[in-house]
Amino acid sequence: MPDTSLPVTPAQPVRFRGGGFTVRTHRWAALLAFAVLIAVWESTNRFGLVSPLFLPPPSAVAKALGAMVADGSLWQHLKASLMRIGVGWAMGTVCGMAVGFAMGIGSVARAVGVPLVSAFFPIPKIALLPLFILWFGIGEPSKFATIGFGVFFPTVIATYSAIDSVPRNLIRMAQSFGLPWASILRKIVLPGALPGILAGFRITASIALILVVAAEMIGAEYGIGAFVLTAGNLMLTDQLLAGVLVLSLLGLAIGTVLSILERRLLKWR
Amino acid sequence: MTVVRWGRRTVLGVMGAAALALSAAPAFAQSLEKTSIGVLALASSGPIFIAKSKGYFEKEGLDVDLKMFTSAQQVPVAVASGDVDFGVTGLTAGFYNLAAKGAVTMIAAQSRDEPGFELSAYVAANTAFAAGLKKPADLKGKRIAITTVGSTFHYMLGLLGQKYGFTVKDLTMVPLQDVPKMTAAFKGGQVDAIVAPVTVARQMVADGAGTIIGWVGDETPWQLGALFTGPKTIAQRRPTVEKFIRAYQTALAEYHAAFNTKDASGAIVKGPGYDSLLAIIAEATKQKPEVVAAGLPYVDPQGKLLIDDVVNQVKFWQAEGQVDKALDAKSIMDLSFVK
Amino acid sequence: MRLIIKDLCHRYDDLVVLEGIDLTVREGEVLAVIGPSGCGKSTLLGIAGGIVAPTSGTIETAGAVPDGCLNPVTFIFQDFALLPWRSVEDNLALVLEHHPLPAAERRERIEAGLRRMGLWDFRKALPKQLSGGMRQRVGIARALAVRPAMLLLDEPLSALDAQTRELLMEDFLALWQRERTTALYVTHNLDEALRLADRVVVLSRRPGRLREIVTIEEPRDQRLQPSAQAHLAEVRDRLWHLIRAEAQLADREIANA
Ligand SMILES: Nc1ncnc2c1ncn2[C@@H]1O[C@H](COP(=O)(O)OP(=O)(O)OP(=O)(O)O)[C@@H](O)[C@H]1O
Ligand SMILES: [Mg+2]
Repeated sequence: MPDTSLPVTPAQPVRFRGGGFTVRTHRWAALLAFAVLIAVWESTNRFGLVSPLFLPPPSAVAKALGAMVADGSLWQHLKASLMRIGVGWAMGTVCGMAVGFAMGIGSVARAVGVPLVSAFFPIPKIALLPLFILWFGIGEPSKFATIGFGVFFPTVIATYSAIDSVPRNLIRMAQSFGLPWASILRKIVLPGALPGILAGFRITASIALILVVAAEMIGAEYGIGAFVLTAGNLMLTDQLLAGVLVLSLLGLAIGTVLSILERRLLKWR
Repeated sequence: MTVVRWGRRTVLGVMGAAALALSAAPAFAQSLEKTSIGVLALASSGPIFIAKSKGYFEKEGLDVDLKMFTSAQQVPVAVASGDVDFGVTGLTAGFYNLAAKGAVTMIAAQSRDEPGFELSAYVAANTAFAAGLKKPADLKGKRIAITTVGSTFHYMLGLLGQKYGFTVKDLTMVPLQDVPKMTAAFKGGQVDAIVAPVTVARQMVADGAGTIIGWVGDETPWQLGALFTGPKTIAQRRPTVEKFIRAYQTALAEYHAAFNTKDASGAIVKGPGYDSLLAIIAEATKQKPEVVAAGLPYVDPQGKLLIDDVVNQVKFWQAEGQVDKALDAKSIMDLSFVK
Repeated sequence: MRLIIKDLCHRYDDLVVLEGIDLTVREGEVLAVIGPSGCGKSTLLGIAGGIVAPTSGTIETAGAVPDGCLNPVTFIFQDFALLPWRSVEDNLALVLEHHPLPAAERRERIEAGLRRMGLWDFRKALPKQLSGGMRQRVGIARALAVRPAMLLLDEPLSALDAQTRELLMEDFLALWQRERTTALYVTHNLDEALRLADRVVVLSRRPGRLREIVTIEEPRDQRLQPSAQAHLAEVRDRLWHLIRAEAQLADREIANA
């Protein structure tokens, strides 16, 4: 160290340099962006930039939707689709969770199941529709099966990986207090796997929504999917978008319900 | 799909001009006018394949690019978006909706269902046949698989109803989107009958799954398909359209003579150039000649549309609530090219 | 209750963890186990509690169990092992639910446990709302709810800060003052052993062998007195002398692995 006296510097305020890199919540930003998007979309039509055939303006979509509400067909379509989504999703989920549980706790089930699931999961369910028709007919069962099949595999995977993530020490603790096997399953494994299972529900609910369109390719008279398909076939693009809008609103609604469910069931996290 | 009206064309035009400028003169060596048509790889597009293969378009000074599509739906959409100048396919409710929005105009006929020509069949499933479904009139009240709502098959059933005094409400149409699903439903005993193209119908019979109980051409002749283009093309490139139609008509006449000739007894006989024309169509559709020969449709030698039937089609779709009530059938046909 | 361990060996596959352990935990005593990291202390405890099957050797318990004992050998865990989705009182209820107890008694046991550990006001709280010290108190209350004959404690204080540790040691002292529950207490911390244990077992580095058992003569309640300090310092030196070299070697071994 050179033995010079330190230069005397005047006192300086410390400059703040910790800003940025944090995400703040902007309540209205999303809504505003949405409003701007819709306004731009509408005006492209008003100014003749885009043909209403290729991209119907929001007002036309709203009108198509309004017509569906007015003649009651929206309700009819929604009812049919919700029933299919509900039953198909429930079947896929119940079976998927049962298999997922077996694979989560049984090593034989896992050894058998993992390669099977890997092999069957990526099959596009739409490719199987002709088979489903042969197996289950063209009534509701084949539609349930389409959705159920799509939901089943992700549920299996979500369930058994959720069980893997249950802390081992809790199971050890329960064993050390002499809890019976079934109690450990019910009181430790099931609630411990619940976050992972619920996260899986989010994915499978979206899959069910996607597959309802495929399912309704099978001779459906009513249903949002059938409505969208028909609108596409008839080149009624405003109705097509109205149907798509209903589907996405349905997705939003299901997502919200799941969020509420998560908040209720997982408030311990 | 082109979303912005002026978008792709302008860009392509600019790019094309730039490319031409770069590659200089040789591109203009042959001064053929470029144009394009959207077709399906089906025998019903036969005359187009013939006109292309035998150089009738070139004789008119046109360099026609054939763009193959896989579903009838896509062709008028491609015309509407400007991806192709012309299109030739079957007439569906979707087509009329595009026409109603001023996107396409019919200028000549494609094929039609005509007595004696086995193009579209009513096929009864075995159990239904055993239970008395023996003729087309019996289809009333039955479950019938079709491709989609608004398809040609939908109209064929409507037309059958008009003949026998029932409506499509009197039967259960089961839309299954495509032929594999229709076949599955039919073979699985889920429906009583299907309306199917000849190849599919014959396959069903060969598989022992059903019986052909009639032909649409015999029951209800109708205008199955049309040649169409965009109103803008007519307005701006009228000479091109005229040239195109002339070449098309040459091919139509040749096709008609070869494939649509009947002898005194009414049986279809091979006309002049049968084998060479069949070979052209077989190659374009990538099918065996004998398969193509089994499903060669009838065409009008001049390409005249069955105007009354087109009017009836529009009325039917309007009654079904699938096409705008305000549409006037006459406004979507330009009959000035085919006289 | 006594615990008698005879000629115990344990291997995880090829890894020999414990070798030739002969040890008796006497009725009513607190036996601390110290030893370098990875020498098999937790394994020893697991075997003693019947949740790890030993490779060879025998473990026996003998002697009386208290009235109403539901789970004679009971663990208190380093990481508390509380169910995060259950409230404090329901975490206690967990270990009683599978026993056929009258509802009143169940309530009474839970309340007694909670009150003793000063948790009554927090009975509705979820574990995430509690501090580390409070969470371990829940762990202790849960153990007490089954009226154990022997406690197995695996570094129960090492997840806690120094002051909380001090407070909890007082809780343990009070516990062993009231009912003389036999305890096997694994720790890294010499001070804990010196404050709480009657005897201290020193294990060698892996494979863990019994090196020595050191007895602390001073009564537990007098160990903070000035008069006790000389003796305790002596014991401390001895223990430190015993484990220092072992700990150093174990440290190197881990670095080399
Ligand atoms: N389930 C297991 N499978 C394989 N090896 C294990 C298993 N559990 C522990 N071991 C290994 O056995 C050895 C002893 O483990 P143990 O947890 O009993 O040691 P410990 O003395 O409690 O260590 P620490 O002081 O770190 O708590 C360690 O080397 C550990 O890696
Ligand atoms: Mg340990």
